[in-house]
Amino acid sequence: MASIELQSVSIEFPVYNVNARSFKKDFLRLATGGTVAETTKQHVVVNALSNINLSLNHGDQVGLIGHNGAGKSTLLRLLAKIYEPTHGRMQAEGHISPMLSLSHGIEAEFTGYENIILRGTLLGLSRKEIAEQIKEIADLTGLGDYLAMPLRTYSSGMIVRLSFAISASIKPDILLIDEIFGAGDANFMEKAREKMVSLLDQSSIVVMANHSDDLIREFCNKAIVLDSGKVKYIGPVDTAFDIYYGR
Amino acid sequence: MSLESAINIPIDSEQSVPKTAITINTPSKLAYQDIKDGLSKWRIWMLLAYQDIKLRYRRSVLGPFWITLSMAITVYSMGYLYGHLFHTSLQTYFPFLVAGMLAWALISTQVTELTDAFIAAEGLIKQLKLPYSLYIHRVATRNIIIFFHNVLVIIPILLIFHESVKINSNTLLLIPSLLIVYINSIIYGLILAMIGARYRDIPQIIKSLIQVAFFLTPVMWNPSVLPPNDRYLVLLNPFYAFVELLRAPLTGLAPTLTVYMMTATVTAIGAAVAFKMFRHYRARIVYWL
Repeated sequence: MASIELQSVSIEFPVYNVNARSFKKDFLRLATGGTVAETTKQHVVVNALSNINLSLNHGDQVGLIGHNGAGKSTLLRLLAKIYEPTHGRMQAEGHISPMLSLSHGIEAEFTGYENIILRGTLLGLSRKEIAEQIKEIADLTGLGDYLAMPLRTYSSGMIVRLSFAISASIKPDILLIDEIFGAGDANFMEKAREKMVSLLDQSSIVVMANHSDDLIREFCNKAIVLDSGKVKYIGPVDTAFDIYYGR
Repeated sequence: MSLESAINIPIDSEQSVPKTAITINTPSKLAYQDIKDGLSKWRIWMLLAYQDIKLRYRRSVLGPFWITLSMAITVYSMGYLYGHLFHTSLQTYFPFLVAGMLAWALISTQVTELTDAFIAAEGLIKQLKLPYSLYIHRVATRNIIIFFHNVLVIIPILLIFHESVKINSNTLLLIPSLLIVYINSIIYGLILAMIGARYRDIPQIIKSLIQVAFFLTPVMWNPSVLPPNDRYLVLLNPFYAFVELLRAPLTGLAPTLTVYMMTATVTAIGAAVAFKMFRHYRARIVYWL
């Protein structure tokens, strides 16, 4: 049974600009000590998430609502275990599948089929699982013979189709989705929506960030309003939107 | 020297190293887990390493055999030129140089490319949770595959200079030698990749230092040209030990005990430093990218 437990989790990003990142600064700090050390030691720290308490269990389909920079993507990366909490603790049980970006593990010089194998392997599929699913994935993309062509000949919509189809072939306990829709024509969106519904039904916990309110209303039974890295509200979707829009 | 000082410098974010209070997952355990997972996900890094090479030579007629060909052009012309410049007998110098260059090509690309290992994998690291050690294996394996392409250039040498170089049971020692080089690539790769990700000047510094190391290490010249009192300089050079580890079996000799002792020491020190650093900074790596 999948579960996610966050206890007063914070994430602080050190932001190094080109200078602060260099070895010279640290060397000078050592060599000069004292006063210079005081000034150069301060680099900008962004509190991307602060003091998040969250407990998600089987059956939770959660929508993340918030402005740009509110911490939606950071929270998803935290849940995907890409970022580790700088403070607090987090525990997650279950196989996690992040669909945070559709472009990772995509190689422009390789053909569609080669990319299915590459990305499938990265997402943890075995050779056998890929062989079993490759036809299904190929059908879902609807790209036909184009799959034997290198990706650099694809349009951006076609790349979205391909990577969505591969990611959707994973059956995770915890599914994390960042705003990945956008490109892709109406015909594909319809297919993708069907696939999403079956994917959501199979997953134990779903967390999605999306700017489209309709998608969240349709797919989620819970929503989290994030505001500058803090959880403003957790609860039913409608109330969450009311709070977000200040009604 | 520069590496040691980089390690000792108090990194400003040290205070905010995650104090994951989870009872079972101490930093040591997480670091150990990462290394273990990295090994168990060998299918991924083998594929990535293979794809890297395939990608580099896609659409070229010779494909990966460009690696072999360009190596052949370099070492054969160098062997001929320096053999005459140094007035040595080609019979002994040519095989020595070719084997040494093969060893050096592997060691130097490991050092320079591993420093970039995390920087180059930024996109993946930020989108997928995979063990950090996996990216080190990817680069190290890629360079071993390239070595196997390069090593073909020794075959004509073995035929032409069959009087001075022989294929014998010592040639088989190449396998344990490569294993030692691989293990050290992982150990020092972790150290270099972390420093490289945190301090972006380091990859540049390493690239120029490795050039200096090439001239300081007996690859083009034989250590016997040094006066006996100065030979310790060569014996203390860790690069020499690793070059010799590969060069000796390639020319049908067994590496000396000194070479094995030196590489064992380097491995032990590296493993301790790498684990200590990795335990401390593993969770920070993603924030440095």
